[in-house]
Amino acid sequence: MQHARRRGLMASACLVLLVGVLAGCGGSSSSSSGGSSGSGGSTTGHMGGTMVLAWNGIGSSIDPAVDYDQNWTLLNMIYDGLVTWKKVGGSDGNTLVPDLAQQIPQATDGGKIYVFHLRPGVMYSDGTAVKASDFLRAIEREFTVPGPVGSFYQGIVGGDACAKTPKSCDLSKGIVADDAAGTVTFHLTAPDPDFLQKLALPFGYAVPSNTPDKEVGPSNPLPATGPYMIDHYTPNQEILLVRNPKFHEWSKDAQPQGYPDKIDIRLSLTSEAEVTMVEHGQADWMYDQPPSDRLNEIATQYTNQVHLNPVPQVYHMALNTRVAPFDNVKVRQAVNYATDRAAIIKAWGGPQVATPTCQILPPDFPGYAAYCPYTTSPGDGKWHGPDMAKAQQLVAASGTKGQKVAVICTPDEASKAVCLYFVSLLKQLGYDSSIKVLSAAVEYPYVQDSSNKAQISFSYWYPDYPSGADWFDVVVGCNGFHPNSSASANLSEFCDPTIQKMTEKAIQTSVTDQAAANQMWSQVDKATTDQAPWVSLFLPKHIDFVSARVGNYIFDPNVLVGGILIDQAWVK
Amino acid sequence: MSTVGGLEHPIDPLADAPPEGWVAGRSPWALAGHKLVRNRMAMAALAVFLGIVVVSFMGPFYADHIAHTDPFTSQLTATTVINGKRVDVLQQGGGVLKLGETPIGPTWQRNYFLGADSQGRDVAARVLYGGRTSLTIGIGSAVICSLLAVIVGMVAGFYGGVTDSIISRGLDVVWAFPVYLLAISIATVLLTQGLTIGPFSISASSLWLPTLIIAVIYVPYVARPVRGAVLSVREKEFIEAAIAQGASNRRLIFNEILPNVITVLIVLLPLMIATTILTESALSYLSIGVQPPNASWGTIINDGQQLLYTRPWVAIAPGIMIVLTVLSLNVFGDGVRDALDPRAKLRVKD
Amino acid sequence: MLTFVIRRMIATVFVVFTITVLVFLIFFHTPGVDPARKLAGRNPSPETIKAIKHQYGLDRPLPVQYLILMKKLFITRDLTSYSNQGQKVMPEIVAATPVTLSLVLGAAVIWVVVSIIMGVAAAVLRGTIFDPMLMVLALIGISMPVFWLGEMANLITQDRYHDTFLFSWVPPLGYTPLTQDPVMWFKHLVIPWLVLSVLYIGLYARVLRADLLETENEDYVRTARAKGLSERRVLLRHTLRTSMISFVSLFGLDFGVLVGGGALLVEVVFGLPGVGLLTYQSLISLDLPVIMATVIYGAIFIVIANAVVDVGYAWLDPRVRPA
Repeated sequence: MQHARRRGLMASACLVLLVGVLAGCGGSSSSSSGGSSGSGGSTTGHMGGTMVLAWNGIGSSIDPAVDYDQNWTLLNMIYDGLVTWKKVGGSDGNTLVPDLAQQIPQATDGGKIYVFHLRPGVMYSDGTAVKASDFLRAIEREFTVPGPVGSFYQGIVGGDACAKTPKSCDLSKGIVADDAAGTVTFHLTAPDPDFLQKLALPFGYAVPSNTPDKEVGPSNPLPATGPYMIDHYTPNQEILLVRNPKFHEWSKDAQPQGYPDKIDIRLSLTSEAEVTMVEHGQADWMYDQPPSDRLNEIATQYTNQVHLNPVPQVYHMALNTRVAPFDNVKVRQAVNYATDRAAIIKAWGGPQVATPTCQILPPDFPGYAAYCPYTTSPGDGKWHGPDMAKAQQLVAASGTKGQKVAVICTPDEASKAVCLYFVSLLKQLGYDSSIKVLSAAVEYPYVQDSSNKAQISFSYWYPDYPSGADWFDVVVGCNGFHPNSSASANLSEFCDPTIQKMTEKAIQTSVTDQAAANQMWSQVDKATTDQAPWVSLFLPKHIDFVSARVGNYIFDPNVLVGGILIDQAWVK
Repeated sequence: MSTVGGLEHPIDPLADAPPEGWVAGRSPWALAGHKLVRNRMAMAALAVFLGIVVVSFMGPFYADHIAHTDPFTSQLTATTVINGKRVDVLQQGGGVLKLGETPIGPTWQRNYFLGADSQGRDVAARVLYGGRTSLTIGIGSAVICSLLAVIVGMVAGFYGGVTDSIISRGLDVVWAFPVYLLAISIATVLLTQGLTIGPFSISASSLWLPTLIIAVIYVPYVARPVRGAVLSVREKEFIEAAIAQGASNRRLIFNEILPNVITVLIVLLPLMIATTILTESALSYLSIGVQPPNASWGTIINDGQQLLYTRPWVAIAPGIMIVLTVLSLNVFGDGVRDALDPRAKLRVKD
Repeated sequence: MLTFVIRRMIATVFVVFTITVLVFLIFFHTPGVDPARKLAGRNPSPETIKAIKHQYGLDRPLPVQYLILMKKLFITRDLTSYSNQGQKVMPEIVAATPVTLSLVLGAAVIWVVVSIIMGVAAAVLRGTIFDPMLMVLALIGISMPVFWLGEMANLITQDRYHDTFLFSWVPPLGYTPLTQDPVMWFKHLVIPWLVLSVLYIGLYARVLRADLLETENEDYVRTARAKGLSERRVLLRHTLRTSMISFVSLFGLDFGVLVGGGALLVEVVFGLPGVGLLTYQSLISLDLPVIMATVIYGAIFIVIANAVVDVGYAWLDPRVRPA
């Protein structure tokens, strides 16, 4: 997934006021594995209040089939799917747990069949019951509306036909829903070890089976199953979430009752305004990352209200391996050696805000083994400093000196700073470099389209689910490259047959043996890093700036949240 | 001496040379010139404007020899000497968390006189270079706009009839487009790919793009007064007489219409330049005017927005330059108008 | 008179139509911009893009696309945005209009009152030092880029002097609807009103002063003086009234432009979610339906303002009517 969260963009500051998660009381104990609900005890006193959030805009949809990341934090509190990731902090936040299903099933028939038993008694906010066929509708809509990731579910029987002719999409053979028995059975054409992870994404959230194929707009949102529902949405001004009266907590791990009674999301604010609002207590949390000129201020004057957490997001320069001069691996490695990652990190906000990296996979990711060849004194997997001498050697050996290079980025300050650094660096290495700034709306499709022959661009990747496949089969893998299309996530156009074989083997192995697969992912990571399709730069820390009254701050690392667990925070 | 009454030598108003014995009075141009020169405020304003121009074009000299800096390369890890101590240009934040990197503030010395921006570049040097860009675009677009407007206005006014209707409706359409929105629309589109008309191609980062865009959008505002000037001359009685006498079009244009039109232009030009400078700065501020690596006063104000509360001088300095430049142009323009045509309109956008 | 009005209305419609065609061509035909790609969101499959292209009619010929857009905009009124998917365009504009109106009306009140006072004072005090002083103030007002002035205002009121009694009441940048909290609405708008009006105070004060001085030389004013009327009477009854004709017509034009989206710089700097900001955001994100709608909205306002001013002028001053 790309371009999900942006740092303080000038004109797009939306305030999302999350209405404080209402503290619900009296949730019955659920029958989920490991889950224990409990309202009562020392936490009851914190139920209630209105949580005010500052958001930089609902730039995407509130239709779970369509929204791609921007609103996932909200949708997560409003809707539910068969499975989800645990809503807790720490690395446990990436564990899959059953949500509307009673248990996570084992795949049968060589990994091609999953049978889910629905949890009985769950209702939508409009009083209707959640049925098995609701999940058939949800996945079909991904093709018919259409949503962006039909390809995720193409492995379901009938998925290929749906992709070809979405209007007549019929997945009833691939998703067998028995409403009376309360079972949903998925039939896949081939085993997919990441299938459960894909179901956990909002694209798989339950929707009433009479939901039409048209995209749902903000004035008539779908009925909720989670602890909150949308009360109203005034465009560019406010979204108000209130408690869903039909919600009862069935699994504390999957969907706990929320603390605030209301969550008020204010839109259309600038990052600067958001910082000021949180400082003065007029907002409880800001969705945007604080602009760099306020970092020192909030760190020194509001130290206890600032929370820093690492996220698996890798910022890098994508080098086009099919266009000169970066079609020469020596040049790509040279740029990697020459890059002073410490300088780039300075541009981003300093060493406390970002950590340098040389490789593809992020730390603490399954399959990660620290590896950094592009540094002075390599060997310990850490980056120490640039090796300009080696870089110049490699450039000389490549014979590409003097060629023209255009560095592409978007107009925001941080992006421009990084690109200007690279323009200077490439000049130093002997190239005729210049900067090319494209507006945010145009840049990402532009660099994806191979016919534009983009040479080097500033980019990032945030994995959709914790699997090596999301990196090596998508953003730096052969399957991620679609020539002459503006939907080609593999910006480097990198496709190495040997590495592709290793990737496929790892995917196959992970069906049965995740640990062995992780070993293989490390090897793929090393091999890919050596080929240098990227100049991996840094991993940013996610900054949560909360108001003084917010308690129980929990950082949830999974992709749906990637920040503060909003409805678990206390505002009373 | 010839008189109109009992004519000994009838006056031919379109003759190229004055008849014998004619006492040459001062031409209207000379009169205006003298009046202008005697206007102290206008002359002071002109001096200020020219001073700003000179200082801006000395930007390279300042950068190379006084500040010893390159204001266009990234200086993220640069260091400088302040009061004998060597310090980082981008300094890490303080406290326990040490978040953020803050550029140094004004040193009021040769290096980093006004401090650094978020990429460690010398702000004072950039403001001077920015002046070059802003002034070049401002003056260039005003001149191009005037040329285009003269052609359009004169054709419309001179030929009248259907031609005039079509041109006037066309001007109406451009006029009805809110100026900034029209500029933003064109700029947004052209900045993606640059402009290619036949064999001519302008790259997206060339300064020609904002210059041409600004020139084109202000054409109606200049073409209307030009057309008005042409029409007002056409309707004068002695022109009818001259045409009746068989005077050629060319004569009419050069001897009568053009001077009138040029008067209008001279009065409008300082105001035009003031307007184009303000427009360019607004477009650059919105990131759709001058593109990196070029800098203009507007782009520097945009850079300064990110630093507004910590290093305000990055935003203050270019703004002050704009105010001084535009103010001096306005005052000088007032003086020109007083000298040439006190009844002319006070603003470009009437 | 009636034919004049009708002719102006026809011209208005023609101009607006031309603008819609121009905007359509500019944006729908931009190289490098694929609306279907944009609608498809992040990382779609090529099949998704094709499906969306067909669904939105983007694979039809250009004139058909134009007609579909116009139909959705004016007839069925269900035009949806490309960025805020599912969000209808009309409600967005309707929600943004009160913000712009609040901003422009408030600023207009301030600039009209202050510029009349300044212009009249300068004309009456001609010959003293106050006249050039006031005019220099006016000139400075015209010479400041409005976005820079806004940034400076923010620097002072939000940060540097925010903790003093002078500005501690200033809320963070943003907007609160009048119906929700009138006091907060007012607090949010005071500084933007002042910043927006500075430019226009300068312009109008100068125009008014020049008009007043010019009318003073007209015959009918000399007659009034000869008849023995007091200076103040002459000023208020005669010269001011005549000058107000052009003042009002200029005001009509500027007001039309501002309400139509011309206040976007102030809206951007102060974070006010009005029509100007909406237009600018849609232009930057190439959100074509919203661009069409906001530009048409703006053009209609301006063209109507133009026409009203023309008709009003003709009605007030019979000399101006065409033969």
